[in-house]
Amino acid sequence: MSARDRILGRIRRVATGDDIVWQGGGATPAIARTSGADRVERFIAQATAADATVTRLDGLADLPAALAEELRNRNLPAAIRHGAEPDFAALDWGTVAASQGMGRIDEPATLSKARCAMAETGTLVLTSGPDNPVTLTFLGETHFVVVDAADIEAGFEGVFADLRAAGSSPRTVNMVTGPSRSADIGQVLQLGAHGPIALHIFVLGA
Amino acid sequence: MSLHASTTPQFKQNSRDALADENLQSALRSARNGFVGKRAIARAKMGEDEFDALRNRGRDLKNHVLANLGDYLEAYEREVIASGGHVHWAETAADAQAIVLDICRKAGAKTVNKGKTMISEECGINDHLSANGITPVETDLGEYIIQLRDETPSHIIAPAVHVTVPQVREEFLKAHTHLDPDRDLSGLDTLLKEARAVLRAKYFEAQVGITGANMLIAETGQSVIVTNEGNGDLSQSLPKVHIVMASIEKIVPTMEDAATVLRILARSATGQDMSVYTTFSQGPRRAGDPDGPEEYHVVLLDNGRSNMLGTEFQDMLRCIRCGACMNHCPVYQTVGGHAYGWVYPGPMGAVLTPSLIGVEEGGHLPNASTFCGRCEDVCPMRIPLPKMMRHWREREFERNLTPAATRWGLGIWGWFAKRPALYRLATRGGMAGLRLLGRGRGRLGKVPLAGSWTDARDMPAPQGDTFMAQWRAKR
Repeated sequence: MSARDRILGRIRRVATGDDIVWQGGGATPAIARTSGADRVERFIAQATAADATVTRLDGLADLPAALAEELRNRNLPAAIRHGAEPDFAALDWGTVAASQGMGRIDEPATLSKARCAMAETGTLVLTSGPDNPVTLTFLGETHFVVVDAADIEAGFEGVFADLRAAGSSPRTVNMVTGPSRSADIGQVLQLGAHGPIALHIFVLGA
Repeated sequence: MSLHASTTPQFKQNSRDALADENLQSALRSARNGFVGKRAIARAKMGEDEFDALRNRGRDLKNHVLANLGDYLEAYEREVIASGGHVHWAETAADAQAIVLDICRKAGAKTVNKGKTMISEECGINDHLSANGITPVETDLGEYIIQLRDETPSHIIAPAVHVTVPQVREEFLKAHTHLDPDRDLSGLDTLLKEARAVLRAKYFEAQVGITGANMLIAETGQSVIVTNEGNGDLSQSLPKVHIVMASIEKIVPTMEDAATVLRILARSATGQDMSVYTTFSQGPRRAGDPDGPEEYHVVLLDNGRSNMLGTEFQDMLRCIRCGACMNHCPVYQTVGGHAYGWVYPGPMGAVLTPSLIGVEEGGHLPNASTFCGRCEDVCPMRIPLPKMMRHWREREFERNLTPAATRWGLGIWGWFAKRPALYRLATRGGMAGLRLLGRGRGRLGKVPLAGSWTDARDMPAPQGDTFMAQWRAKR
């Protein structure tokens, strides 16, 4: 008998079922039930509380100029690394040197497109793939993320509904709430542990 | 033989040493105030009623999973395999060691990166890999610090909570010999930057990355990790092989059930509404993906858990490892995590440790409680920790493991308790005696047979009459 059979055998001797037809989730709190403009506002407030910074743009066409300005203001090189996201491929980056591919060991600034987001906690949801290499989310010192206001869901429930509706099954779904941090040295919270030191979000549209 | 064998049987001596350790006491003082206040604020921000409703939902969710654990594990396994991953079943820590070593050898691994995983600590994976010529590199900053110090974690979510800043500085100067020995490491930020740079290079060197799992989702075959640093993600995204180490009770049925747990996990642990990174991983990288691991393995560990099902300790399997019980425990706050002598400290450790390594080894821990009940009050999964510690005390007593003096004392108390008239007489006599000793001051500096209790504080002298006498008078 295999280890698997022995473990399952021990479990089944005592765990014999409970006749409950399980409905997942439940007990959704009010903070996860915002709608309309409140939803976008809560997303921005929560993301900011988690030490992200946010700029609102009318549309994708405004992104190159806004990104160039952010890079300048942060004293970063005029360069950006991103994936094969179709939204980005069509853009003229002007003076910013854009390159495509996965994250490298020294990556001052990276750019990703969020699949959706969550107002409840100010969380971005990214799915891995050629359009969005997962390493860009963790190796960039400053991570820029674009999200459509229309893709901001109230809470987890909406996010999972979006993922199911998309029908794709990415290797990773990454929920990101602010830049990386650690309090492991002297119990003092510091930003920028292994992942990005700064997270900047561009919210597109109203 | 593990280099980090349990010192749980020496709990009492460990505690004495902990109380005398100035560095530890200073670290514990600075941690104590943070966790408790932050959890309370996070709960209030959500709304206490809603937070507590989620706790009820979490309890019901895990009870349901445990009642159907076999079916859920099989469903989970099917989904992992369907997405191109491998599932390995480990009955014991030794089995898990062998499985992990085998995967690492097949991958030709020289170094293995580790995200924070308590299951790996439970199985002694680092020692086993080292003994077989493979270098494990802990990448969680706290785990990295204690790996340099050759220690085990003293807290399940803040493994280096016992280490002071000067101690971290000292370790970095000793370990990072490729850097200028006279460099300025005075600021906390310089320490963090140095660790970041050293570990960044290591992420690109390892052939295998090992992470834990906060949850395994049966519906999708995803494993979920929750971190603040991003190390778990770099550890699983850059090497060729990703190994997930998880125990069998980590299953939840659906993604929405994962949300139930996530809504209470970070708030209970660090007081955050949400940890920075919550990552759902499924199988190896997809065709066309530019990054991610080429192999995905899950090691499912039993190690005594299936034997807890159906016993008075089953509820312990609801634990989501947030650490709230230890953060709020007056005993943990005073002696720290290492005194407990094994992987899991605090109230959850006091219940889990005897289950996993035996009451002979771990029997002291359930006694390390004042039964104040704060652990159960704050537990997001509403685990009745004090009740289960009482069950362990009973088992310890039944097996004659309780010290002679305690048995003798309990015997005397029991003899009186079964004779109510004598019991009342004795308590009245005791009260009168204590009142006499404390005459005039209302408190006693010394009480016979309770010297170690009165060493640190006075005992209030009894006032009025016994409870039974007052009750009779007022009825």
